[in-house]
Amino acid sequence: MSITASKVHEVREITRIERIGAHSHIRGLGLNDSLEARNVSQGMVGQFRARRATGVILEMIKEGKIAGRAVLLAGQPGTGKTAIAMGLAQSLGSDTPFTLMAGSEIYSLEMSKTEALTQAIRKSIGIRIKEESEIIEGEVVEIQIDRPVTGVGAKIGKLTLKTTEMETIYDLGNKMIDCLMKEKVQAGDVITIDKATGKISKLGRSFTRARDYDATGPQTRFVQCPEGELQKRKEVVHTVTLHEIDVINSRTHGFLALFSGDTGEIKPEVREQINMKVSEWREEGKADIVPGVLFIDEVHMLDIECFSFLNRALENEMAPVVIMATNRGITKIRGTSYKSPHGIPIDLLDRMIIVPTVPYQEAELKEILKIRCEEEDCEMSSDALLVLTRIANETSLRYAIQLITTSSLICRRNKTTEVSVDDVKRAYSLFLDENRSSQFLKEYQDDFMFYENEEHAMETN
Amino acid sequence: MQVEASVSMATEQWFKLLQDAKKTAIIQDGNRKVHFLFENGKEFVEEYNLDTNVVVRRAWRKKGDLGQDLGWEVEIGDPEPNINAIDKLETAGIRESSSNPIVSRRITKTGLEWRIRNLNYPVDVYSVTAEDDGTITVRTSNKKYYKKLTVPDLERVGLRPEQDRLSFKHQYNTLIITYKKPPKLIELEKKIFEMVSKLKVNKDGDVQCPTK
Repeated sequence: MSITASKVHEVREITRIERIGAHSHIRGLGLNDSLEARNVSQGMVGQFRARRATGVILEMIKEGKIAGRAVLLAGQPGTGKTAIAMGLAQSLGSDTPFTLMAGSEIYSLEMSKTEALTQAIRKSIGIRIKEESEIIEGEVVEIQIDRPVTGVGAKIGKLTLKTTEMETIYDLGNKMIDCLMKEKVQAGDVITIDKATGKISKLGRSFTRARDYDATGPQTRFVQCPEGELQKRKEVVHTVTLHEIDVINSRTHGFLALFSGDTGEIKPEVREQINMKVSEWREEGKADIVPGVLFIDEVHMLDIECFSFLNRALENEMAPVVIMATNRGITKIRGTSYKSPHGIPIDLLDRMIIVPTVPYQEAELKEILKIRCEEEDCEMSSDALLVLTRIANETSLRYAIQLITTSSLICRRNKTTEVSVDDVKRAYSLFLDENRSSQFLKEYQDDFMFYENEEHAMETN
Repeated sequence: MQVEASVSMATEQWFKLLQDAKKTAIIQDGNRKVHFLFENGKEFVEEYNLDTNVVVRRAWRKKGDLGQDLGWEVEIGDPEPNINAIDKLETAGIRESSSNPIVSRRITKTGLEWRIRNLNYPVDVYSVTAEDDGTITVRTSNKKYYKKLTVPDLERVGLRPEQDRLSFKHQYNTLIITYKKPPKLIELEKKIFEMVSKLKVNKDGDVQCPTK
């Protein structure tokens, strides 16, 4: 089964224009085989103990036997908690469900807090299941793509496929045309198309084309033209999450669906049914459970009800591994007037293993800034980088990262390619950091509206 | 002798399945429509013409492995018009061109019939054979069309298609394949029709068939 699984595990997505996010430089946890953290690797710098601890957790998740463990990443702002979670998600691979949410996401008018949490938990449990799907397998005879004269609008395409026995013409949608172009499919290739998902895989070139004198690389594989009918039924393995199965089965049938659309809340009976069905499939060997990870950022935003719900939910054998992150110290638990470490009740804290993150050293800050410079496509002189590191040390890492692109824009205005110390200084003077801004407010608070001593001021007037 | 036994076994099985199913019948548009809900949750619909008592339509409700509704799969009669065809082209990105051959099935009093429309090659191109795997296979000598036609009616009585009962002709861009019904099948159909015609018929109107 694993062979089929890896075979069907196809190309994920077509070219997407990636924007640069705060954590887009992270590609993994940067650990070696013995789970020792490498100094600078896969976008990760420093935080050796936290990374090592996460590596151990990664092993636990990969084994998939332990359900419902909770891990807390605790540390000051800007010490890489989210980065570690992202790294974990990357190293888990695409087949393990990883749900990322912020603590405040659960507050919505459309569904209750516990429903949002349940959905998040069920999104983090994958079911690997065998399904029969229709596959088109044939040799490409001709691809014809018409673009509109204006250059904009939908393209129209036709694809002719054949086997040794027959030939069929297919109409192509826009997405499929892009896919075919990206895969560089041309006449003489033998391809398969999954009819339900539209995924294309190239099997090789047809033997009949072996004598063509076009540019065939040494790795070109020649295959026999398929026989019989073009459309075949094949068993494929794919991973869906429990939540997806819930949604499929909870849609109101018939004309009512027109009015209700997607149901916000899913009935507990539906979930129960699904759980039964899944355990049935498991017994029959039709499906496997792939426990994933639920990551809740800013977990102190959850309130006491959610915490007690989580307490209970973690005991379920279908529960995923829950990783939470917080930057709070001893503070009030939301929804109560009690104080507790990290703003999390003691009983839940007791169920967790806590991974601390510590502030970065100056050398580590420099490495991180260097990586971010690369990520944001900005050339920086070594002096400027030193200045920036000092800024990061004195203000904050986030502020220093903000200065990268701003100073590179200033430098580009001055028609130079490399960001110099002056450019950084300019950006530093243009944009205040949190500290200087508070300083400024304190100095001039009399001139602002609604400052603390307003009543006092009015009296004197 | 053994073949004989398996034939009657298969016939019995199918008949019993229909007998045990929850049935709902209505008369509408000159057809007697019967809805079957099997014990395993599968749904099945048959429509009989009131004048000829021949099945004009037979369809199965298709469900995905995850429980999603996939609509009706038509076994006999014209295929459902696909309203979402354009939509499907957008989501899946591929669809057979409308100029491709389409198969539809019919049943007459004496025979099973297949009509393959949009086939514009001359008649001497085609060969239609009964195969060992229980299908009727259509081939073209110009290698343009090839199709394995399954025969669910024969499978249900445990028979395989025989070459002698097979005939075909070609007219108006359509290949018409006819298979003469074996006596076993005629017998079964008669039995099923008797059962169906005894069902209490609901008044034409808003009738809800059980689905679970």
